[in-house]
Amino acid sequence: MRTTVASEYSAEVHHVPIEHRFNPYSDNGGTVLGIAGEDFAVLAGDTRQVEGYSIHTRYQPKVFDVGDDIIMTANGFAADGVALIDRFRNQLKWYKFDHGGKKLNIKSAARYIQHLLYGKRFFPYYVHTIIAGLDEDGKGAVYSYDPVGSYEREQCRAGGAAASLIMPFLDNQVNFKNQYEPGTDGKKKKDLRYLKLEEVLELVRDAFSSATERHIYVGDGLELLIVTKEGVRTEYYPLKRD
Amino acid sequence: MNSIASQFTNNNNNIIRNEINSVTHEFAQQNSLNLVPSITLPPISQPTDFLRAHTDDETNPDCKIKIAHGTTTLAFRYQGGIIVAVDSRATAGNWIASQTVNKVIRINPFLLGTMAGGAADCQYWETWLGTQCRLHELREKERISVAAASKILGNLVYQYKGMGLSMGTMVCGYTKKEGPTIYYVDSDGTRLKGDLFCVGSGQTFAYGVLDSEYKWELTDEEALYLGKRSILAATHRDAYSGGSINLYHVTEKGWIYHGNHNVGDIFWDIKEQEKSFNNVDG
Amino acid sequence: MDIILGIKVEDGTIIATSKAATRGISVLKDSDDKTRALNARNLIAYTGESGDTVQFAEFIQANIQLYSMRENDIELSPKATASFVRNQLATSLRSRKPYQVNVLIAGYDTKTDTASLNWIDYLGTQVELPYGAHGYAAFYANSLLDKHYRKNMKIEEGLGLLKLCLKELETRMPIDFKGVYVKVVDKDGIRSIEGY
Repeated sequence: MRTTVASEYSAEVHHVPIEHRFNPYSDNGGTVLGIAGEDFAVLAGDTRQVEGYSIHTRYQPKVFDVGDDIIMTANGFAADGVALIDRFRNQLKWYKFDHGGKKLNIKSAARYIQHLLYGKRFFPYYVHTIIAGLDEDGKGAVYSYDPVGSYEREQCRAGGAAASLIMPFLDNQVNFKNQYEPGTDGKKKKDLRYLKLEEVLELVRDAFSSATERHIYVGDGLELLIVTKEGVRTEYYPLKRD
Repeated sequence: MNSIASQFTNNNNNIIRNEINSVTHEFAQQNSLNLVPSITLPPISQPTDFLRAHTDDETNPDCKIKIAHGTTTLAFRYQGGIIVAVDSRATAGNWIASQTVNKVIRINPFLLGTMAGGAADCQYWETWLGTQCRLHELREKERISVAAASKILGNLVYQYKGMGLSMGTMVCGYTKKEGPTIYYVDSDGTRLKGDLFCVGSGQTFAYGVLDSEYKWELTDEEALYLGKRSILAATHRDAYSGGSINLYHVTEKGWIYHGNHNVGDIFWDIKEQEKSFNNVDG
Repeated sequence: MDIILGIKVEDGTIIATSKAATRGISVLKDSDDKTRALNARNLIAYTGESGDTVQFAEFIQANIQLYSMRENDIELSPKATASFVRNQLATSLRSRKPYQVNVLIAGYDTKTDTASLNWIDYLGTQVELPYGAHGYAAFYANSLLDKHYRKNMKIEEGLGLLKLCLKELETRMPIDFKGVYVKVVDKDGIRSIEGY
């Protein structure tokens, strides 16, 4: 319990109480997942949008091609997610106007998004943000953020409602965590290697169909964006709709 | 009083005008280097209470925005320079958000900053500190002192005191004038010079090992091992610390990175070698 | 649990401040000096909210020094210094974020050849005292000084009395404060006393 300091005059008309109920946030569920390969990166998200126990829609995409072969998602509170992505898209457009159509590399995009998020440090965007693309060497890159902009480049990252269901699976299947060479009595770790695109797509589909089975906020459809040196392409797979 | 006063203050009164101003400003402004960052506040009279209600999971366990917390970091001065050692775990509540966090921020080739508390706060303001240090170099034609660098950060966080920033950091560096120097700076505005600091939820465990073996005359090899071993002790006892250990050595030539050491891998080696950790079987 | 203690004697004022800088359950530093010299014969000792303390003391220090630079090297008297500090705290108290700092100011007035000790808290309460303390130390030291303090003591006797206070604090305080720094302000200026 917080104690009250009697610093305001009691005769004053209080406008303050309404602010205690000022709650501009909601949780719209959904889950997202990004994996970086040797020469590609994928970002996937389910297409269900919910609020409480109600399903608002079964098809609301939340992974977007924001230009310059960068794909982006901001999962959590949908309105904040849209606001953030719109802001980034807009700034990218202005960057191109101001710099003769220069391409923004993903490293710079990543740092810029940190500033967008931290700019609202005291009134945060309630989102888990992930972007994916190719770095300056053409290698797949995934960057993930917390709501106020701390970020890190990673090989893979799950975010949103079912992050805690998917992330351990990814640790095991992408980074081979806790996998050892057979017959070495747990002495020799399984060597790391880049996964092929087909293997990654298989993992993503498995992750989402499994999450759909065990999380009420996940389901309906899986929309996948893939970045390669040829550009961005989209794939869609249905998920269970119950 | 506050609410009455705000009604009669002239600026920021017209909500619509402010909205339009902010939108046109963002969309149409020339891309200039804005050195003083501007940060949005919620449109209410007590922004700090608002933030606390939505982000502090100690007072409000089902708050929606989880901010990463929990860490062990250490730095100490000795005969051969400074050792900096940190863990790499980020937690949000009970969820381990990452095991691969980089908690040492390389401000420049001679300055390191460590990260404990809010991950974004440390990452953002310490990179910001990097730009301030570079500007100092350009203006003064001389590298910034550790004292001055740490004071820039200290004064910055002091401006935000009470707003909910959370950071406990050590600014470590070497300059001709000062020699190897460590300053502890935290978000309530404390700034202390010292020889040895441990910061974070696992600080006590790190102190336990570090204090018992520390002496000024340590060799480089001994010092690096002691730094690593102290963090290992903390990851072993503090659930909020873990992942792997990042090691740095700061000398007159700048900092040298001494690798990433996975706790899962080195634990058993060290246990066998030292005949320690006798609370653990196997 | 910081300790700051002040004793005024006939020819000077003695200030003792604990060396420990504590955050939570860890002592981060055992050589922390909680005093700042304001000018040649004025010393401020502070305790309170971490962060606020140093910022406030250095703000006062800068302004007192600025005064001397502007006014032809005239140094502000202890009385004026204390009034200035009190006024700053009182103004701050009525702001959005008040400084939560309690201070002692030891001074020596060369015009009247008198030593002084001013006790000021964050609310802006100011009193000129023969001896004083802030925090828990006050609970032990005040009664002890009430009994043993005499009006016409010299610095040496004052230091003896301080030893008595510290012995009591060391036996009764629940937390180790890592000893104290002792400083004396007299007609020759500010000096540290070693061996405490």
